[in-house]
Amino acid sequence: MSVIEAKALTKIYPGDIKAVDTIDFHVNAGEIFAFLGPNGAGKTTTIKMLNTLLMPTSGTATVAGFDVAKNSAEVRRRVGYAAQDVGIDEHATGRENLSLYGHFYRLDGRTIKARVKDLFELVDLAGYEDKMVSTYSGGMRKRLDLAMGLIHEPQVIFLDEPTTGLDPQTRAHLWEYINNLARSMGVAIFLTTHYMEEADRLADRIAIIDLGKIVSLGTSGELKKSIGGDVVTLTPPVERDEELREFIKRTEAVLAGQPFVAEMKPSDGALAVYVNDGSSAVPDMMQILSGQGIDVKTISISRPSLDDVFLKYTGRTIRTQEGTRTNFAQLRRQANRRRNQ
Amino acid sequence: MMWALSDTWQVVLRDVRSRIRMPVFIFMNLFQPVLWLLLFTQIFKSLSGSVAGEGISYLDFFAPGVIVMTVLFGSAFAGMSTLMDMDSGVLSKMVATPVNRVSIITGRVLANVLVGLVQALIVFVVAAIMGVRVATGMPGVLLVLLLVALLGTGFAAFSNGLALLFKRTETVMATTNLLTMPLMFMSSMMMPSQALPDWLNTVRQFNPVDYAVVGVRNLVLYGYVWTDLWKSLLVLGAFAVVMVVFGTLMFGTRAE
Ligand SMILES: Nc1ncnc2c1ncn2[C@@H]1O[C@H](COP(=O)(O)OP(=O)(O)OP(=O)(O)O)[C@@H](O)[C@H]1O
Ligand SMILES: [Mg+2]
Repeated sequence: MSVIEAKALTKIYPGDIKAVDTIDFHVNAGEIFAFLGPNGAGKTTTIKMLNTLLMPTSGTATVAGFDVAKNSAEVRRRVGYAAQDVGIDEHATGRENLSLYGHFYRLDGRTIKARVKDLFELVDLAGYEDKMVSTYSGGMRKRLDLAMGLIHEPQVIFLDEPTTGLDPQTRAHLWEYINNLARSMGVAIFLTTHYMEEADRLADRIAIIDLGKIVSLGTSGELKKSIGGDVVTLTPPVERDEELREFIKRTEAVLAGQPFVAEMKPSDGALAVYVNDGSSAVPDMMQILSGQGIDVKTISISRPSLDDVFLKYTGRTIRTQEGTRTNFAQLRRQANRRRNQ
Repeated sequence: MMWALSDTWQVVLRDVRSRIRMPVFIFMNLFQPVLWLLLFTQIFKSLSGSVAGEGISYLDFFAPGVIVMTVLFGSAFAGMSTLMDMDSGVLSKMVATPVNRVSIITGRVLANVLVGLVQALIVFVVAAIMGVRVATGMPGVLLVLLLVALLGTGFAAFSNGLALLFKRTETVMATTNLLTMPLMFMSSMMMPSQALPDWLNTVRQFNPVDYAVVGVRNLVLYGYVWTDLWKSLLVLGAFAVVMVVFGTLMFGTRAE
């Protein structure tokens, strides 16, 4: 049974910005489903349509059995949301934050009290209920945020970049909570992320989204398999960009049409060659390249990762897309400006 | 409907609680009006008796204006907290719940008015200590609070509407600053109407601040001037209603 069903879902912002472009997918009950994509891919926009904060421009979506456009009140009662920016009141305690949402979800005082206790334990914040949120660390806030999305025992929770900005240890911790949630409470989780590893580790199924379109969808195994075989990464002994471009151009020309080559894509300072069988392809490849006088500094063979999947479907590495902090701020400012026009 | 009331109450609680935790701001808001009260009554002391009639000092004349000013300053920036909620993501989290959306704004406006009334009372007390007496006594004080509550409701709702319209702190700040000062000076807050040029007397008929000033001043200085009082109550009531409608409309259509 699916808890989310999107059909030709589309959002066009004023100014003809196609943020989400006719996407179709479904999420099963109790499943962890990840949207993996770079900045501006349309992840947040998709979530906001599914949790009724934004009206779709066209297409339909049902969540927990209700149409998001026609029956938004019913949808809201059944979903939780942890936004990309942690939406917690700094000048209140953890308990006050959580209780307010309990009231908004129409729970009675006793239930709220009991759930607050359980949830603080679930996210490992027991003892911090009555401390001001302004004294919480980033990781604690993310956990409180998670708890706030769960107070009404929703069928689906939307987590928009749940671990962005956290250190690796805290991130691993949060993965554990998220995993537990889905497994023990049967909550379906729709999460978005920039991190390959996160999608790989957490999600039952992954949709890769780029420029508003789902370019690939499946389990992480299926996605990797869709690349076929191995990835051979050739790094040239060059420093300057034009030399790298020259290397890529020549190597592509030389290797094109070889029977063992499935596909080639330039990647960070290197060329990724997708082959069926890495160990047998490398000797052949070496021979051809040295015959043409092309120098290679390092060769590595790897099983395909989601990075490779992303590269294959979008022609870009996700790492180069990942913004720095200033970059984020800039993007947000741009979006704001656009919004204000 | 039941839920709307309970949601409003929850929002009021949250707002008032966070203000009480930062009493600095409550006093900062009071600092300016009290300073003006002390300063202006010194500067314009020589006008006493000639401004508002025999036996009326400039302090008596100006104190009602300062009470109005206190509430005006307190409420004209009400949208700032909403902007903070918007920037921190609190607002979009709230509107994703089944909460009654209108309550988020009515609760905030109500909290603002409550705090504004407390501030107005404090200014009242300061003025009383300085020697101002209310001609209409306790019932008059209650009517004064009603008048400034209506004014505060209007401006707090207006400011929240602006916040959702522009969604930018700088823009809302600039617009509010641009409006509040002229609204104060284009009224009989500092000078009686007889001392104002004709054009200003025309302009101030469209200025809700002036209706509050006139209403409060009558109650403090002269007693029940019913024709003026009704006019003030009606105009301020209409102002409050229109602004609450504006604010809720903005909130209904632009909050995300
Ligand atoms: N309110 C808006 N008005 C106009 N354009 C918008 C608005 N919000 C987002 N966009 C644009 O829509 C596109 C998708 O934005 P969205 O926020 O959904 O991306 P995202 O995948 O969540 O990115 P990030 O990883 O940076 O959070 C971007 O090009 C963005 O600039
Ligand atoms: Mg986003």
